[in-house]
Amino acid sequence: MLTRRTFVKAVGATTLAGISPAKGGENALKKIAIVTTIWKFGTHAQHMGDRFLVGYPRHGKWHQPPLQVVSLYVQQRPEGDLSHQRADEHGFTIYPTIAEALRCGGDHLAVDGIVIIGEHGDYPRNEKGQVLYPRYEFFQQAIEVFEQDGRAVPIFNDKHLSYSWKKAKQMVADSKRLRFPFLAGSALPVTWRLPPVEIPYGAKINDALMVGVGSSDAMDYHALEAMQCMVERRKGGETGIKSVQLLEGDAVWRASDEGFWSRRLLEAALSRSDSLQGDSDLDSRPQDLAHNGQLPNLVPNPAAYLIERNDGLRTTLLMLNGAVRDFTFAAQLANGGIISTQFFLPPNPNVTYSACLVAQIEEMMVTGRAPYPVERTQIASAILDRCLDSKLMGLRRIETPELNITYQAPRESRFGG
Amino acid sequence: MHCTRRGFLAGTAATWSLGPAAWAADRRPKIAALTTVFEKHSHSQHIVDRFLDGYGWESRHHRPAMDVVALCVEQVTGNDLSRERARRHPQMKIYPSIAEALTLGGSKLAVDGVLLIGEHGSYPTNEKGQVLYPRYEYFQQIVDVYRHSGRTAPLFNDKHLSWNWDYARKMFDTAKEMDFGFMAGSSLPVTWRQPSHDLPWAAELEEAVGIWAGGIDGRDIHVMEALQCIVERRRGGETGVRSVEALRGERFWQALEAGSWEAGGWDRQLLDAALCRSNRLNPTKATYSNVFPTTDDLRRIAPGSYAYRFEYADGLKATIVQLVGNVVGDCNVAARIKGGEIFSVLFYLPYYTMRNFFSPQVNHIESLFLTGKSPYPIERTLLTTGMTASGIESLYQDQKRLETPHLAIRYEPPRESTFWRT
Repeated sequence: MLTRRTFVKAVGATTLAGISPAKGGENALKKIAIVTTIWKFGTHAQHMGDRFLVGYPRHGKWHQPPLQVVSLYVQQRPEGDLSHQRADEHGFTIYPTIAEALRCGGDHLAVDGIVIIGEHGDYPRNEKGQVLYPRYEFFQQAIEVFEQDGRAVPIFNDKHLSYSWKKAKQMVADSKRLRFPFLAGSALPVTWRLPPVEIPYGAKINDALMVGVGSSDAMDYHALEAMQCMVERRKGGETGIKSVQLLEGDAVWRASDEGFWSRRLLEAALSRSDSLQGDSDLDSRPQDLAHNGQLPNLVPNPAAYLIERNDGLRTTLLMLNGAVRDFTFAAQLANGGIISTQFFLPPNPNVTYSACLVAQIEEMMVTGRAPYPVERTQIASAILDRCLDSKLMGLRRIETPELNITYQAPRESRFGG
Repeated sequence: MHCTRRGFLAGTAATWSLGPAAWAADRRPKIAALTTVFEKHSHSQHIVDRFLDGYGWESRHHRPAMDVVALCVEQVTGNDLSRERARRHPQMKIYPSIAEALTLGGSKLAVDGVLLIGEHGSYPTNEKGQVLYPRYEYFQQIVDVYRHSGRTAPLFNDKHLSWNWDYARKMFDTAKEMDFGFMAGSSLPVTWRQPSHDLPWAAELEEAVGIWAGGIDGRDIHVMEALQCIVERRRGGETGVRSVEALRGERFWQALEAGSWEAGGWDRQLLDAALCRSNRLNPTKATYSNVFPTTDDLRRIAPGSYAYRFEYADGLKATIVQLVGNVVGDCNVAARIKGGEIFSVLFYLPYYTMRNFFSPQVNHIESLFLTGKSPYPIERTLLTTGMTASGIESLYQDQKRLETPHLAIRYEPPRESTFWRT
């Protein structure tokens, strides 16, 4: 295996300093490979992959990215597979291995960027309930090609880096070692917000709370990264995670009574929800769900992810299936103000939140710079993995010195579009 | 009873000048709600419930500082919710007539604000496709009580003033004459926008296009209001509408393909920009989830589409394009600013258990009731009511172009945006 030193020596400084320019001049389309688990209707590969092929709405125009999908690796092709149809229609080639896809059947890396979408498909779950999507394994095969061919190109990894915090850490380390732009994560941080607010850059935060819905470890991940993109803007930047604890059942409600999470912030978050359940589902009446006593009736299996940061900030994710069907957030600023918003997920089938994400991927492929730090995704991946460890360990609080992931958030906002 | 403004003022003397603020210092305002029907997802349910149960607003479950104390529902159906609401909120009594609701069973006006919600319910449709909701009739009964009581209260009228232009004009004139706060219209002008922006103040506008999925009268007015709340910010303020021409059938498709106003259609780039703001663009290609429709696609899936082309008095051109069929599920507007730049925006209507686009509207109604003044000009809705009626009339008259001298309505909108941003 190449060390950073030998790698630099092997490939020379110019290619490492950035991304190799696309062959054929500045106006040539950058070539990308898509590496995915499955390409059926409604999968992430279809939603996102198609946008590279047929364009997507952006800033009030139908935008065609200056990118060309030249190769595809798809691991599973069950009934409903669309990969062959797409390859025929759009003129790219499906290769049987990742290495061949990245080399387009030749001897050397032949693409300018790689989009890894390891979501959906038939994969086993482990004892923590995590689906073992092979994102790390896909990524490592790309790394092998980079090392063998002495050239690295930008990689986008959809959703969390891996179900394993250790694998996630390795992926980030590999990207730093080989110095290629690495972008990852959920669409929630970049989708529309209602209202369109940010934590003021550098503000001191006293408390933050996210409300999410859906299954673990698919949807709790989205919620964790949404919360992360807000709190990372606080004074001092992200300082890493001191401890995590998962709570379930009545302990979630008791934790509020005992001051572990804030009812006031729950009220603020739910003030942004458009999907209150219970009586609101019955006859559309508004409800003060944070205080009207209905939550225990509506949410048979609540979960609270208590996340303590190294700078003392307390952050909480509540998964409230049965109470709402959307993702909302609230934070208490030290100056007394409360900021709250909904991370808006536009409906099927358009799911235009994925257009917001593809715009970020495209920008990285074109500029050679990841628009926001992969550490955001790394820390959210790690928080989830360790919270599920807490669950496995009897819902105990666990210290997490290994999650000393620190980074500075970009000042510029990236959501909507 | 017929009152001139002079005679009316003389007749009612000093009580008149007390206006709607007399209660403010020492008690919560009392509100009466008058509606056609009160069922799940009726406008009255969305609006009145927000006064009764509160609603999410700026990080709070906000409870309006006023009480709905009287409710009159004309059609009590099998799905009625008004009785359940009255049981749960005993301060709200149900009255059998508008006059009794406004007087709380007494002889004089006894409320400080009135909600007129004449949408939904079973009412006849006329030969032009307009549902004859009795807003004008309710309004007349309300002002009768005002006149009889020598006192007025601010009034909110949901959606357009009436299906009938003459009725609408009378409502407007009466409110001016009696000098009470009068607010009306759709929730679209005040709901969330994507992106969250407004037309730059005093921009020089050349042309605008508003789109949705069709619906004579009931849906038309929403698109008119969405478009109007954008274009009214143009340089010089609103000047009114000079003419209208409706297009349907093959004329619609010829206009669409013409690609410009001068060629008898509208600026195709504006239609495309509006479509590109949509979150609900029906995929026209099998197995794809988000593709841009071609003209052939539109012809195929939206054969019943129609349009209204309006010429404004100051030369602005605007077209409402109603793509009838499964093309676009949300309302979007695009406008060309002089110099070529295109402004485009989606008017976002959350369609989940909570129809929270009513929240900013209710918030503005609270402001009307607390201050006695409408936060945005009633002239907007007077104009959109007239535009809607004239567009439908043109359709009815075989798409004849009609001059609209009665729509020479001038007004200056508030500079500060009133849509939901916080």
